[in-house]
Amino acid sequence: MDRRDLLRWSCAQCAVFSGLGAGVAHADTDSSGVPHPPWQPPARFSRPDLASDEGGLWALMDREETRMRRSPFRIRDAGLETYLKEITCRLAGGHCDDIRTYALRAPYFNAAMAPNGMMLIWSGLLLRTENEAQLGAVIGHEIAHYLQRHSVDRLRDVRGRAAFGQFMAMFGVVGLVGSLVAAAGAMAYSRDHEREADRIGVMLMRQAGYDARAAALVWSNLLEEITANPNADPTKNSVLFATHPPSAERRQTLEKLAAGSPSGDQGAEAFKTRMAAIRPMMLEDEIKRMRYAESIVLITRLIRSSTQDAHLLHYRGESHRLRLEAGDAEAALRDFEAALQTAAPLAITHRSLGYLYRTMGHPAKSSDHFSQYLSLSPEARDAELIKKELL
Amino acid sequence: MNRIETVISTLILASVLAGCAQVSQVPSGEVVVRSKMAVTIDQPWNQFERSPAGDNHPTWTVDGVTVDSLKFYVALADGELIAPTPNEPKGQRALTFKSAMTQQEVLGLFEGLYTRSGSTFELERVAPHNFMSRNGFKADWNGVRKTDNVRLKGVIWACVHNGELYAITYTAPSLAFFSKNHGAVEKIVASARVRNRD
Repeated sequence: MDRRDLLRWSCAQCAVFSGLGAGVAHADTDSSGVPHPPWQPPARFSRPDLASDEGGLWALMDREETRMRRSPFRIRDAGLETYLKEITCRLAGGHCDDIRTYALRAPYFNAAMAPNGMMLIWSGLLLRTENEAQLGAVIGHEIAHYLQRHSVDRLRDVRGRAAFGQFMAMFGVVGLVGSLVAAAGAMAYSRDHEREADRIGVMLMRQAGYDARAAALVWSNLLEEITANPNADPTKNSVLFATHPPSAERRQTLEKLAAGSPSGDQGAEAFKTRMAAIRPMMLEDEIKRMRYAESIVLITRLIRSSTQDAHLLHYRGESHRLRLEAGDAEAALRDFEAALQTAAPLAITHRSLGYLYRTMGHPAKSSDHFSQYLSLSPEARDAELIKKELL
Repeated sequence: MNRIETVISTLILASVLAGCAQVSQVPSGEVVVRSKMAVTIDQPWNQFERSPAGDNHPTWTVDGVTVDSLKFYVALADGELIAPTPNEPKGQRALTFKSAMTQQEVLGLFEGLYTRSGSTFELERVAPHNFMSRNGFKADWNGVRKTDNVRLKGVIWACVHNGELYAITYTAPSLAFFSKNHGAVEKIVASARVRNRD
């Protein structure tokens, strides 16, 4: 099937994407004001001929998707997967049935879209988005890559290089997450692709009724976090920063694309409800990255909209306690005490306070909190070790 | 690819790696590890002169180091790293042993070693344990290795003696391989003792 045929505007899609009309006028210039040709969504894709390069890529991704479904890193939360599907369908319109969205337990900000319609959302991204509109901005961006078939363009660009043969061979040996990291480097979209995906993603957001301003916010939040470390190089700290347009340009472009949009749906409460079950796990995984400066910036931002969240206060306190630089002990103490004042305090906060007071040279207070921890969690997996800490 | 196939693929990869790295055989009998630890073994093991993980701790294996890995941390002094800190990304906390660390903090070092790249670590149980005739701990854990999705089981034995860290860790896929050598490893750990250099 000719690519032009696939990208050809289809009247069948007019109804599905009828909401785009007003949006295109806003979105059809780039940051420098250069007009883009009008964009219309393609018709649903047919499975390409297996003998074609695109067909081979689909087959490869089908195999990866089979592995993804069985992977221990897949977050098997039916409510979450349903929610991701709902957001995907709201943005993808007529392509809804062709896109399958999975949540992956990986504590970094990333998402990936395969040409066969498999979309992966990493848990680190779910932790970093604050509402449905922000998550929708990322999903819309990935859908745009799919609709524009950017991965096929990229395949044709790199296949002449020996590296791609090695890349293809790797899928049989290394696991899914490792493969995806490799894929992010070998198959990174060009910056022009990213700009186009940004532009179309904002159109999809607006058409779906989301607040399009959320797209720029996602990017600026991530940049703030990554630059929390002195001498941090965003291009090395994040796959996204390595392959995407410069952040300042991107933020400005997204802000401009969203300018003039009617205020749309933020979906803050629905998002919070759906994420509640996996949030503790995501915070635990975040701390285990051992990049405490970034974690503190991230969690501080999240606390602004959830000031009485025991988990957020606890894990920010843990970040301070584990980093233990000047002022961290005091900051950790404040967070732990605040966490215990919330409506649903955590037993593990007492354990953290036990260790913190021990470090600060207050054995009696330390023992008291260890004792409270054991009282609240007598069957804890570390209970026997903690008992040794009692006076 | 099912889990057994995954493990076999890993085994093949390990064999390839083994062909590239310097490996020597550890014969049965009493073995001195880094001059300050001695153990007794009743079956030969393969030893990597330098761990494929990039650190400098003696690493033993039967079936290949990415399959089963028995690692010795011998007399690490205050301020020593249990593993090198990757150059990138910036801001990652170094895994530095401190003499004043609690046992929980020592356990945290090893947990950080396994999780900092995205693998998972779920503690099954940690309890005080007489290790090398000192007050130490034993921690059983399980997790999933990020690079190949293999489910792992592991055990960490550790103690601090004269301000120095002594530890032995054993890690292997939970499917068949862990139990295959676990009994032999327990015997080795039970035989471990501090060796005073005369």
